Amino acid sequence: MVNENLVKDVVKEPYKYGFVTDIETEKIEKGLNEDIIKLISQKKEEPKFLLDFRLKAFKKWQKMKEPDWAALGYKKIDYQDIIYYSAPKQKEKISSLDEVDPKLLETFDKLGIPLTEQKKLTNVAVDAVFDSVSIATTFREELAEHGVIFCSISEAVKNHADLIEKYLGTVVPASDNYFAALNSAVFSDGSFVYIPKGVTCPMDLSSYFRINSGDSGQFERTLIIAEESSSVSYLEGCTAPMFDTNTLHAAVVELIALDDASIKYSTVQNWYAGDEEGVGGIFNFVTKRGKCLGKRSKISWSQVETGSAITWKYPSCLLLGEESVGEFYSVALTNNLQQADTGTKMIHIGPKTKSTIVSKGISAGNSKNSYRGLVKMGTKATGSRNYSQCDSMLIGDQASANTFPYIKSQQPNSEIEHEASTCRISEDQLFYLQSRGIEFEEAVSMMVSGFCRDVFNQLPMEFAAEADKLLALKLEGSVG
Amino acid sequence: MEIIEKIKANKSDDNLTEIQKICLHKLQSSPLPNPKSELWRLSNKSKLSNFLDYSVNEKDSKFDIPYPKNSQSTIRLIIGENCQIKLIEKNYSIQQLSEDELQKYIKEQISFFKQNENWSDLLNLSLSCKNNILGLKINGSKIPPIEIFSHASSNSLKAKTLVIFLEKNCDVELLQVNLGKENSSLSQSTFFCLKENSSVNHGVVSYGKNKSNLLNSLNVIQQKNSTYNLGSLHFKFNYARFEISIKQSAGNAKTNIKGMQITKKDEQISTYTKIEFNGPNGFLDQINKSLADDKSHAIFEGSIIVPKVAQRTDASQLSRNLLLSKLAQIDTKPQLEIIADDVKCKHGATISQLNEEELFYMRTRGITLTEASKLQLSSYFQEIISFIPISKDKWDLLDKLLNEN
Repeated sequence: MVNENLVKDVVKEPYKYGFVTDIETEKIEKGLNEDIIKLISQKKEEPKFLLDFRLKAFKKWQKMKEPDWAALGYKKIDYQDIIYYSAPKQKEKISSLDEVDPKLLETFDKLGIPLTEQKKLTNVAVDAVFDSVSIATTFREELAEHGVIFCSISEAVKNHADLIEKYLGTVVPASDNYFAALNSAVFSDGSFVYIPKGVTCPMDLSSYFRINSGDSGQFERTLIIAEESSSVSYLEGCTAPMFDTNTLHAAVVELIALDDASIKYSTVQNWYAGDEEGVGGIFNFVTKRGKCLGKRSKISWSQVETGSAITWKYPSCLLLGEESVGEFYSVALTNNLQQADTGTKMIHIGPKTKSTIVSKGISAGNSKNSYRGLVKMGTKATGSRNYSQCDSMLIGDQASANTFPYIKSQQPNSEIEHEASTCRISEDQLFYLQSRGIEFEEAVSMMVSGFCRDVFNQLPMEFAAEADKLLALKLEGSVG
Repeated sequence: MEIIEKIKANKSDDNLTEIQKICLHKLQSSPLPNPKSELWRLSNKSKLSNFLDYSVNEKDSKFDIPYPKNSQSTIRLIIGENCQIKLIEKNYSIQQLSEDELQKYIKEQISFFKQNENWSDLLNLSLSCKNNILGLKINGSKIPPIEIFSHASSNSLKAKTLVIFLEKNCDVELLQVNLGKENSSLSQSTFFCLKENSSVNHGVVSYGKNKSNLLNSLNVIQQKNSTYNLGSLHFKFNYARFEISIKQSAGNAKTNIKGMQITKKDEQISTYTKIEFNGPNGFLDQINKSLADDKSHAIFEGSIIVPKVAQRTDASQLSRNLLLSKLAQIDTKPQLEIIADDVKCKHGATISQLNEEELFYMRTRGITLTEASKLQLSSYFQEIISFIPISKDKWDLLDKLLNEN
């Protein structure tokens, strides 16, 4: 039965990543105008095409209106009150990790991210992004042996300008939406991955994003290109310190899969969510999209969204290639006053394309959790199939769960199936577990974990364990 | 602005009823629905403006009912044709609502109206003259079936309004038929108020002809322990919108909806439903079927709203769609908005074509492809048609659907 006090006590679980690293940073002045963009571009010594790309995006952004269709309520963002570039001060060029500021390494150690290659506990190559710039990318040499390029996007701009020029903005054009345009104008850093033809990436790649300053926004950009018959698994994690102010995070992720290539993109998003009163927290407006360009290509998104005060995120797949496959597996958990409007878009363009959507939403406290998805069968998508399943779980009678699936078909020879359900943790099941001597908290955690199992099964192993723990931690006591 | 001017040009200010004035005033600020709003986004703009193009004079041509009354006991009413009714029998009574009751109720409803959500009602009530508003109070049980007709004569835009109060413990079967004449636009708004323990089997059949248009809005308020069963069918309209809004004002009520829309040629027919549970223990079972052929467009948007008070709500919604042509399209959006935690809510949606395996099976048994498709379609239709309170011998809907279309 409901035990209000227990609920309140345990929900107060502190956010353990909320510390601030005291490190000298280089920041530019607040505000956004052409000069700022030129300055960012100049600081990063970018070629002209990229500056033009930024300026064009900025012009488009100025003409756009902030979208208001999502089921989210937040105070107006003052785009002139944000610092668009902030970087930890360090030596001009780093030749090895030993030269990275030890405080930075310490920070990532605290977060449990093994940046030093000696700590080969996990076979994962990491690109760590601190505020606006990439700090270090590990295992580069080993990857280079296989021809895999894994570096920060700023480095890629310098060393692989041809690839950047060819692919940047082809999946998410600068004018795609308000936040993508903003990102295109001011993006600071991010990761770049290129898997050559026929290569299966020998290890999982990972990027870790850390916002450290309270007044700067984070605008990273990720571009992953998988050439013919290649495959890669990419993990993304994010945390931020606790501030009373809201920090803006507007990222763009572009994936391109050519013939027979496969990309698996997993995210565990744990930005600071604000306190119980809803003060502070990250505003997370992210545009993620993958293009299955080649025949039989596959893009799979899996995400665990537990942080952020506001989440606005719809990882999508454009299924162009014949027999290409798109997948979306998501667990979104909201507590206290968090609001999430998340889902996916599966646009079937080519014939015999397939997509699967599995979304699990859990809302507790006073939070609001919406699934918003689009499945579209174009006129040429003969023999295509989609299956969607969206389940919501409500914990407590103050939380809300919404489902908004948009389904559109212009192709009779295709099939779309959608199902959604809403439930709560059943008291019978809780009683059963408790009567077998399982603690209340643990019983809830077990049931939530069971509810999300379809999605956790899709996560890489180390992520799955982390996600499970994260959910248990976030939810402790919020049930009664 | 055009439509407002048209109404005003037709009638001087003094001749307008108070309700017309209120609605015209509400429409003044934005005479057309916002095309960007979720409810009007997919609506064909040129078809909507075509709907409004016809003249709004109030004269109606004589109306011939397309099929005969098969039993003397059926009560038949035609909105707009001076239907005076006062039946007081042993078991039941059917009376017209007094002018005051009607005015009071409609005004109260208008106060809840929102510009985009209730645009069709606002338009209807701005257009509806006194003659075209029918208010009924129904009481008792063992009431003979009631049939109510609405139509618009060719080359005109007509508005018909129906208000029905179902008194406590009342039980009735009611069929509403909206007939679209060639080149006509009909705006039909229905307001249903179900008092405690009442129950109704409501059928809505809208059957158009060449280039007929329809805006059909249905507003239902259900009090405790009432049961509302709706079977609806819309077909052969160049442009039709069916907007259903059901409020279970204190929960503990049952709603069953089975609806179907069939589009051919370049028609567009859409159904929008909004079901609100404002109390605990509400029940909803809804199924909406669409069939789109040729170059047509079928739309379904259904929302279920379960606020915190609506604990133990059990709601399910299913949207099943058949897409039969490469040039046709179907949009469907079932949605759930839930705050109460102790609820069982689910929805599902499918879009496909006729089941090939079933077709193959039948063909191997010597049934031709056409026959086999017909068989499949008839089973698809039958689920809905059997739910509409109408005797089969009177108007064989199934035949009409399969052969005429």
